[in-house]
Amino acid sequence: MLKFITRRLLVSVVVLFAATYLMYVLTAYSGDPLEDLRTSTARNKEQLIQRRIDLLNLNVPPYLRFFIWLGGVLGVFVGKFDLGKNISGQLVSNELGSAMVTTMQLVLVATVAAILLGVIVGISTALRQYSAFDYSITFTSFLFFSLPVFWVAVLLKQYMAIGFNDFLEDPQIPIVLIFVFAAISAVVWPGIIGGRMKIKVRIGAIAFSITAGLLFILNLTGWFEKPGIGPVSGLLMGVAIAFAVTALSTGLANKKARNASLVVVAIGMLAWLPFNLFSLYVSPLIFFILAVATVIVGYLVGNLMGGQDKAPVARTAAITALLMGGVIALDRFMQAWKPYFESSYISGRPFATVGDQTPNLQGSFWVLGVDKFTHLLLPTLALLLIGFAGYTRYSRASLLEIMNQDYIRTARAKGLPDRTVVMRHAFRNTMIPLTTLVAFDFAGVIGGAVITERVFSWSGMGSLFIEGLRRVDVNTVMGFFLITGTVALLFNLLADIVYSLLDPRIRVN
Amino acid sequence: MIEEKSENAIQQKEVEGLSQGRIVLKRFLNHKAAIASMLILLAIILFAFTSVGIDIGSDSAKIKIPGWWKYDYAQINDVENKGNPTMDLLPSFIDGTGMAIGNHPFGQDEVGHDGFARVMRGAQQSIMVMFVIGLVATAIGVFIGAVAGFYRKWIDSILMRFTDLIITIPVVIVGAVIGRAVGNLGAFLLAVFLGFFSWTGLARLVRGEFLSLREREFVDAARMAGASNLRIIFRHILPNAIGVVIVNTTLLMSAAILLETGLSFIGFGVRLPDVSLGYLINENQTAFSTRPWLFWYPGLFIVSIALCVNFIGDGLRDAFDPKQRRAITSKDKRVAKVVSK
Amino acid sequence: MTKSILNVSDLCVDFWVDGVWYPAAIDINFNLQAGKTLAIVGESGSGKSTTAMALTRLLPSNARISGSVLLNGQDLMQMSNSEVRKIRGNQVAYIFQEPMTALNPVYTIGFQISETLRNHYDINPVDAKARAIELLTMVELPEPAEAYDKYPHQLSGGQRQRAMIAQSISCDPELLIADEPTTALDVTVQAEILDLMRGLRTRLNSAILLITHDMGVVADLADEILVMKDGRLVESGAIADVFYTPKQAYTKELLAAVPKLGSARQRIEVPRDSETVKPVLSMIDVSVEYPKNGRTPAFKAVEQVSLEIYPGEILGLVGESGSGKTTLGRAAVGLLPISAGTLSVSGLDISKASDRALRPVRAKSGFVFQDPASSLNPRLPIGQSIGEPLLLSKTAKGASLERLVEELLDKVELPRSYRNRYPHELSGGQRQRVGIARALALTPELLIADEPTSALDVSVQARFLDLLQEIQARLQFACLFISHDLAVVDILAHRIAVMQNGRLVEEGLRDQILKNPKDPYTQRLISAVPVPDPAEQKKRREARQALK
Repeated sequence: MLKFITRRLLVSVVVLFAATYLMYVLTAYSGDPLEDLRTSTARNKEQLIQRRIDLLNLNVPPYLRFFIWLGGVLGVFVGKFDLGKNISGQLVSNELGSAMVTTMQLVLVATVAAILLGVIVGISTALRQYSAFDYSITFTSFLFFSLPVFWVAVLLKQYMAIGFNDFLEDPQIPIVLIFVFAAISAVVWPGIIGGRMKIKVRIGAIAFSITAGLLFILNLTGWFEKPGIGPVSGLLMGVAIAFAVTALSTGLANKKARNASLVVVAIGMLAWLPFNLFSLYVSPLIFFILAVATVIVGYLVGNLMGGQDKAPVARTAAITALLMGGVIALDRFMQAWKPYFESSYISGRPFATVGDQTPNLQGSFWVLGVDKFTHLLLPTLALLLIGFAGYTRYSRASLLEIMNQDYIRTARAKGLPDRTVVMRHAFRNTMIPLTTLVAFDFAGVIGGAVITERVFSWSGMGSLFIEGLRRVDVNTVMGFFLITGTVALLFNLLADIVYSLLDPRIRVN
Repeated sequence: MIEEKSENAIQQKEVEGLSQGRIVLKRFLNHKAAIASMLILLAIILFAFTSVGIDIGSDSAKIKIPGWWKYDYAQINDVENKGNPTMDLLPSFIDGTGMAIGNHPFGQDEVGHDGFARVMRGAQQSIMVMFVIGLVATAIGVFIGAVAGFYRKWIDSILMRFTDLIITIPVVIVGAVIGRAVGNLGAFLLAVFLGFFSWTGLARLVRGEFLSLREREFVDAARMAGASNLRIIFRHILPNAIGVVIVNTTLLMSAAILLETGLSFIGFGVRLPDVSLGYLINENQTAFSTRPWLFWYPGLFIVSIALCVNFIGDGLRDAFDPKQRRAITSKDKRVAKVVSK
Repeated sequence: MTKSILNVSDLCVDFWVDGVWYPAAIDINFNLQAGKTLAIVGESGSGKSTTAMALTRLLPSNARISGSVLLNGQDLMQMSNSEVRKIRGNQVAYIFQEPMTALNPVYTIGFQISETLRNHYDINPVDAKARAIELLTMVELPEPAEAYDKYPHQLSGGQRQRAMIAQSISCDPELLIADEPTTALDVTVQAEILDLMRGLRTRLNSAILLITHDMGVVADLADEILVMKDGRLVESGAIADVFYTPKQAYTKELLAAVPKLGSARQRIEVPRDSETVKPVLSMIDVSVEYPKNGRTPAFKAVEQVSLEIYPGEILGLVGESGSGKTTLGRAAVGLLPISAGTLSVSGLDISKASDRALRPVRAKSGFVFQDPASSLNPRLPIGQSIGEPLLLSKTAKGASLERLVEELLDKVELPRSYRNRYPHELSGGQRQRVGIARALALTPELLIADEPTSALDVSVQARFLDLLQEIQARLQFACLFISHDLAVVDILAHRIAVMQNGRLVEEGLRDQILKNPKDPYTQRLISAVPVPDPAEQKKRREARQALK
């Protein structure tokens, strides 16, 4: 396996190098970097032109100038990383530094979310092949596939941001809308869960009443002004999560797994209050450590309670722990909403349409987190919609093909329950070809991000690229490409690692 | 003469005496969504090209055919009705005024350009770009895929590394660079260059088809018959791979139109004085609250064209590789006839 | 009086396709006792596999089953889904045909066996592993403790099938349903697996339901037999009764069509006077090597093989998988380059095969391929496929070409109107005939047939072989007939050559090789072939055991 990975890595590096060279030459020849100076009316025009030529080595032809730039890049190995200067004389690495964080956040969250959602939906539609649910999802994916990302972004900006901000001024959901949401719920949930018509009707009725009831209560309690989950709902959610995870992971018949998950939920409940008391000390690093700690605690609980067969119980408990931790964290974020909403920087219009964070906002990790959320939500949604369609279709096709394989028939012939056949035998084989799609898709996400950033006026890498290209500022464009190319390379490497982990035919010979 | 029962006699009934091509066509014509999409797309194309006429070429070699619409896309007119669309599709019993098209069915911008003319012109450009990219990318992709898949070994390695190289650069990025370079030389040239970077997916698929078809015995049989490599590629393997090619070309085309409009949106595609649907959306995104129609119509056209192409592609995919279309209900089972034993 | 494990009455299976129910199995009745083996035989489309899958309701959703299947008195058709699931793998276990695809490639074989155990019994992982290793020992898998952690792709075909069997017997099933368990295996491996199954049957006292098309396997293993055709039960009874005194016409036809080793007629020797007659195909120390490709090392498929074929004679080339016989066949006509040695066809030396050198050879040779599904270009009407050699060698075109194609169709006894039909409209047997017609187009001196009947039903195979024999007798071309089936080679060949791992192991006249094989591999090979005659097969089996 190590050989496979190293070989892929080496090849990728060579390919990246060649791609960088091509990009450099294309960009350099795409226009005249002195255009704005040539047409200017400044009196020291000649001097300015000469200065810029000296600054950027414009005398050297591009196919050689590349190596000057490359020298600066390779300086990273000796501690002198230099991406050159941009057309205004500033260091490219400075400009990139801040822009990089925002854009990468957007791209990574969008990609991971698209994969998760796409795979889940794709698999459910494959299992419910040819049902109404399947058809509607297929149609919606088709639709999303045909939407231009910038159009979607503008629509989101208009209706969700401005519309939602307007809604928040008087946060009461109109009755008609409650009815609509409840009706949608009544149709979607039976579709996902499936079963005979009688069961579906029952599920639909339950979904309808729960959704309508929930929305009514939200209205009555003014939840949108002061959102939160609270211990009671948190406990209910925790229990529901425990059951759902157990059902999927080991089947509800495995009492040990179910009990371990419930114990984990109880631990979470106990930790709720202390956590909230000390929440203001949380920084991003501590948050990460806490997340890892929750998984470890869950794993240990599962191990202790696992009896003879520890592994599946530990796994179930760990997943439940993580999700329960998520519920607690979500509650804390929600508590930060009111102060955020009322702060002078926001003044009642939280969903931003410009920029990637509220300038000058100070606050705890939680408030800043909410800020990030309100800024990241819509662009991520825009990128998500496009990628999601591809993953849904692909995973659906993949699973359908797998279900026709001989070893699935063998699994059934052994008397394994359907859940095991799908989750254990089909799922892993379905994931294998998907890893190759990730590589392809990532490049598309980067392109989409550039366009989306433009719509939301983020000063991220997208705008650096666009402005840089406009002025034929080769160093800036190349800085952008180097970063995105390297991230894409790392992502592909990750996909390759996952691929070789999943497929023993690569790992072992 | 010995008559033997054909194993799949059941399916043969409908396709007796038909070649593969005819069978595919028959299946395609049964796919209602695809046929509807095809008609809609043809209608859009006809509409776009005939309404404001064709106007291509630079000043020295111009081809100008006038259309039946009274305004030109660059023409500046008096602003009527504050730029609101003059089209009213609701009959009089609903909103009082009768149905009418009016002078500016898609409205006007603040300068006075006619919305309809601009959208039609933009549609022309986008459609033309879509077809050109489709053609160029398909030609390159099929060539590279076929050569790599057929000859294998070092040719395959080199070509695949080259393909990886192109994949590494996101199409939007390289497209923007190209648009910066040649965008002002016209949409056609831009499309050709964009096609040079859009072939990678198709190349991989064609290569896969060739790798597997190459191992089929009829290729060896053709060699025994004395066929040269060229004949094998064109007469034997390629016709069997054509299904994959056609289906993926349509997908490529729908992606192409989204690419072009995206590039025009960020300013690196089709630029002034010409218009593109993407450019129109960019121009008017800030005007959304005041003049939403300038934003909606171009967008709707992009979505419609892309959606139609996608449906056609889906219909083609089903025609080449049919699968069961819907679930079998218990009603189906009850009313089905029984073949006599 | 052994009790009946399985009672099947009036079993009917229908499939729903586009609004019509198509019957796959009609009114099937049979009983099976503990410790006995019932073989269900039939050709493709007979419904035997469908019946086997129907017993535990393992059919797709567009199937409907009626009738009753009593397992120890309980009707499986009346049970709920979860109850049937408890039976599957536990009281009723399956063995499938292709072990490479029937085992999940991402889990170790040990895990898959343990999984079966833990699904049916309340047993912890450590105990399950111990039992699994026990089972792997029982099926005689080498180094069972290490094999537990191996993945399917790391084992050979025979080993995989053993692992599959271990998985199936893991819960001590009362009924073992084996669907073509040895069809994908080499003949020597098949013999071992059949021995294994016989041994297990006595140890576990399971009843075995054997689904197969191979009458030799039936004669070796079964106590009772059930013949199916087009979904119907044609004849059933004890093995000796049906084999020796078949009552139904179809059964008689079927048994007559099965090639039986050692029963072929006397062969007239073909003159091999090397003074006046030159061999059509001459190979001297020919080796074929697949070059190093990336990281897969070079592989020598054929090593220093020398043989000759004279006009009018048929040389049967036999071997198991990996013997190199297919590679040799393709190299003989220049479809693969040879890496060493001298190769000449009709006096033309093609050792250094360049396209130019091969052209005259192509005009003198023809090739019949194995797989009817892929040997014809699906986009071309068969007339064009047949006529292509004529067209490309510029022998004829236009109307004269059409005439020649029609004559060729006559030769292979297909109607002339077929020349406008497409391959998908023809049956497997018809497509193979087209293959012969194409190979004969340029009246070759050398015909290579690479397993031409392996994919055909037994009755279709019999007619095909008759046709080939008759054409060869008339046209007197030299023929290299490649096959893994010794019984078929017995019928056709004048001389036989045996290959193993790329080397030519033994060569001689047909009767010489079959009755007095000298090389131990040849002896093992011949003794492993099951003959469709229960009494004789018993004797052969005992002789083979003695050899071991």
